[in-house]
Amino acid sequence: MAPLQKRALYSLAIGLIMAGVLAAVLVIKGDVTAFFEDENMRYILYAVLIGVPLVYLVLVNITLRKPTQIDERDKAIIEKSGKAQWVAIVLSLAVWNIALTEVYWEQRQVPVDFLTLIFVSVLIISPLAQSFGILTGYWRIGKNG
Amino acid sequence: MARISNRIRRLRFDNNEMTQEELANRAGCTRQTIIALEQGKYVPSIELAFKIARSFGVTLEEVFQYETGS
Repeated sequence: MAPLQKRALYSLAIGLIMAGVLAAVLVIKGDVTAFFEDENMRYILYAVLIGVPLVYLVLVNITLRKPTQIDERDKAIIEKSGKAQWVAIVLSLAVWNIALTEVYWEQRQVPVDFLTLIFVSVLIISPLAQSFGILTGYWRIGKNG
Repeated sequence: MARISNRIRRLRFDNNEMTQEELANRAGCTRQTIIALEQGKYVPSIELAFKIARSFGVTLEEVFQYETGS
């Protein structure tokens, strides 16, 4: 298994766990508004919002700089995985759009908490979709050449 | 249909049974790419193709062959 393939697999597993934890916390808290009323939770979330992209950026740069870890074949797979990432983000935003419109149609306004929640969901979906794209990229190369 | 084949496995054998890892280090790619090349599952860029040929001290066409089907 290529080093990048291994990282994508770990990243997919960690992303799924993170998504599961977030979903569990929201379920335990009752609803989205209750979650954001807890000041500590809000600050932890802000730290995650800034920290996760930074850590992700640093890790990706470290991986891309090592020639023995990644080469032209891996880079081609990374480039193609962007398509999966784009589709996943657009689909998730479409789902948010439809769901919030339908739920809050009568009130004609959506609680501000959802802004953060939408951002967090994109933050989780983006690396998840990239990892998925990388793994399917290796699978396709192995299958079709 | 056109196809690009290679003699990497043969050339490794002829070069004191050079390992895939050693060839990967010389050519500046990963061992997994050498495996994919030997299995005919990946076609390298011109740059990598030259690096592989130079690792064996041969010309590009001694490593890679462009085959056109009838």
